[in-house]
Amino acid sequence: MPTMQVGNVTIELDEDGFIVDPDLWSEELAKVFATSEGISELTDDHWKVINYLRDYYKQFQIAPMIRKLCKETGCSLKYIYELFPSGPAKGACKLAGLPKPTGCV
Amino acid sequence: MTFFIGQVLPYVTVVIFTLGILYRLWRWAMARIVHNITLSPFPQSNAQVAGIYAGEIVLFRNVFLFDKGLWIGAWPMHVALGSVIGGHVVGIYFLGKQFTYIGLSEHLSEQMSALLGTVFGLIMFAGLLYLLYRRLAIDSVRKISVPGDYLHLLLLLGIVSVGNFMRLFPAYGLEYGPAREYITGLVTLHPVPIPDNPLFIIHFLLVQVLLIVFPFSKLMHLFGMFANRWIMNRVYLDPAPGLPGVDLSKGVPVVRAVSEGGVTSAGV
Amino acid sequence: MPEYKGMKQAVRASEEDLRKIHMIPVPDDQKADEALKYLDEMRKKFRSFVTAMESCVKCGLCAENCHTYLGTRDPNNIPAGRADLVRKIYRRYFTPEGRWFGKLVGAEDISLDVIEEWYTYFYQCNECRRCAVVCPFGLDTCEVTMVMRQILHWLGMVPKLHAHVGHAMELTGNHTGLPKPGLVDTLEFLSEEIKDEFGVDVPFPVDKPDSDILYIPSSADFLLNPYTLMGAAMFFHYIGANWTIPSTMAEAGNFGLLFDQQATQRGNVMRLLDAAEKLGVKKIVWGECGHGWRAAKMYIPTLADRPVRWPITHLHDETSYYVQTGQLKLDPGKNNRPVTLHDPCNYGRACGLAENLRITLNACVPDFREMTLNREKNFCCGGGSAILFDDPEMYQLRIKFSQKKADQVRETGVGNNGDGVLCAPCSICKAQLYPMVEEHKLGVEVKGLIDLLGRALVWN
Repeated sequence: MPTMQVGNVTIELDEDGFIVDPDLWSEELAKVFATSEGISELTDDHWKVINYLRDYYKQFQIAPMIRKLCKETGCSLKYIYELFPSGPAKGACKLAGLPKPTGCV
Repeated sequence: MTFFIGQVLPYVTVVIFTLGILYRLWRWAMARIVHNITLSPFPQSNAQVAGIYAGEIVLFRNVFLFDKGLWIGAWPMHVALGSVIGGHVVGIYFLGKQFTYIGLSEHLSEQMSALLGTVFGLIMFAGLLYLLYRRLAIDSVRKISVPGDYLHLLLLLGIVSVGNFMRLFPAYGLEYGPAREYITGLVTLHPVPIPDNPLFIIHFLLVQVLLIVFPFSKLMHLFGMFANRWIMNRVYLDPAPGLPGVDLSKGVPVVRAVSEGGVTSAGV
Repeated sequence: MPEYKGMKQAVRASEEDLRKIHMIPVPDDQKADEALKYLDEMRKKFRSFVTAMESCVKCGLCAENCHTYLGTRDPNNIPAGRADLVRKIYRRYFTPEGRWFGKLVGAEDISLDVIEEWYTYFYQCNECRRCAVVCPFGLDTCEVTMVMRQILHWLGMVPKLHAHVGHAMELTGNHTGLPKPGLVDTLEFLSEEIKDEFGVDVPFPVDKPDSDILYIPSSADFLLNPYTLMGAAMFFHYIGANWTIPSTMAEAGNFGLLFDQQATQRGNVMRLLDAAEKLGVKKIVWGECGHGWRAAKMYIPTLADRPVRWPITHLHDETSYYVQTGQLKLDPGKNNRPVTLHDPCNYGRACGLAENLRITLNACVPDFREMTLNREKNFCCGGGSAILFDDPEMYQLRIKFSQKKADQVRETGVGNNGDGVLCAPCSICKAQLYPMVEEHKLGVEVKGLIDLLGRALVWN
């Protein structure tokens, strides 16, 4: 299984590059992911989405409905795609350290 | 050799053919229809099921709908095959005089028998050639073909070619009479020597090869079609629609409730 | 990128993933022997598999009728060719002609390479059954695929996606791994959304005892398809139904059908029956999910280990009934965009649900245009049997698989002005088509059917 080094922590990744243990997430890790996703700089809007996802995940152990994410952060789906080119699930959730969603998604 | 081909092999052939098919069908029967895997169209009565079978058997409906290029070869070939088999039985049994039963003279009946045999024989030959060409010419079909697929066609072509040659050049052919005498001997278990006609012997031998191969080859599709449609095409009746506890006869409840100023429904 | 001798494969479940679905993988050096043992077991059990193995004449009619072959031109994606991957082994070990004549009849010895071929190509089959509908004998390559996926599962070769879903189902009762608090939070959010957009108070009852109707939504609706949940709730509320969603079984899908028709599929069926029994319902209504509806309608009777006391119907068998009897007031003008309908394969071919979709749709939209080749002749979206793999290589394959669908949508012209709607009342279809309509630039938005009905309801 692939791993990556952030500071002095070794983090395990799954085949799609999502972190295996969400507890190991750090802001540093988000920045490393951002680079690999082709995001040059994490702006306040990026952090707003990431932090919302993390808070929601902490409370419910699941990613929020995309529509809810848009509504609560005030970002349209189009804008989220601009922020995270791989989209809300494969981009934003990955940076926020959420596991990859399963099922028909 | 002719003794073996003419008086021994036919019995071996019949035994292998019969037991082989029974073995195959028994294997199919031992496996079960585990789940309901009914397939569209969903017939609502057994009459409709029979309609599906009939459409497929008589007209090759699916082949016509989804691959006309195949249908042009396959349907005439199979119709001719059926007619030729029927023609052999009836023609040999009645010595070509079967059409007297529909009012023709004996002479005319024999001519009719010969004509139909020739026409269907030629259609079958053309159909088989076309199917062989198609197997070679169409990329997707060639790629899924194994040597056995070609050998079946070549074997059938061999049988039909010899048969047609005997029909077209009566000098090399065989009259109904000796054929009936020989077949009667076989059927009554008093085999007589096979008529001394090299082409007839080859024709007869190739047919026996075909019958021996039959249970161990894709020719079993004759039975496979019925066995498989028995699983796929059957009546399935849906449960009735309509939801319990729903009564819209007095209008839509939610609209009623709003106009009465009440709460519309129970919460979470 | 997972690859085996040049064959691109779906990412495989790890040993850890497999243990979570109670499967111990078979080591490579034992796979061939074990595979033969399992194959022997399956051929003795499934007649549909045996007839497919023994009656195919290789006419090749299925080739041009399979969207996976049309999209890739890979001969192993011709249904007859796909079945040949196992037929050659079946012949070699289980038929006299294969034992005696080998290559002449296309028989071949088993090897790890063959098993890897199975994993590659039986996970490139969408199990759409179009080949069965067109086959002159009705031979069903879907049955072959299902048998082979079962064998692969027993060998420990399952895509990660399918294994994860199996595990999530066991943990939470749905495929996306949604725990009850998250589920309720989402539904409360949707209740507010309905209020905002349609101005009506529509509750989402969860686990409500003594309900009449148990509604089984697809769990993907909770992440991706808000209007599908909203539409269903609005419909039930509108007709005054006493309905509920079970938190222990908020899942219309059953991935057991797609990789393990024994333990996994049966387990999910038991979960449903438990929920129905606990909540005291009178009827079970299935949400928009194609393979799940087939699993429910056709497999529950043979998988349940106790009598099934509840009639199970599909949401659209019900909506069409109320539409047809004139009991709903609908304003098609509220969906004033050109609409075309994608028939989910499992509805049209495996469940006889095609006309009813049209009855409902025609009442909800003013401009409905049929695709050419529809109902049971329809082509799959390319995502069937949850081939929703999204690593780059497999994603490219999904684009190829959806080529035929894209052509069909384009022909209808609904996307010409960029405001068309592609109605696809199935979660897998939706998940596949959301990105595919963008890849093929079709100018349409993907929506469920109940989405459109919910919007068209006239409340006063």
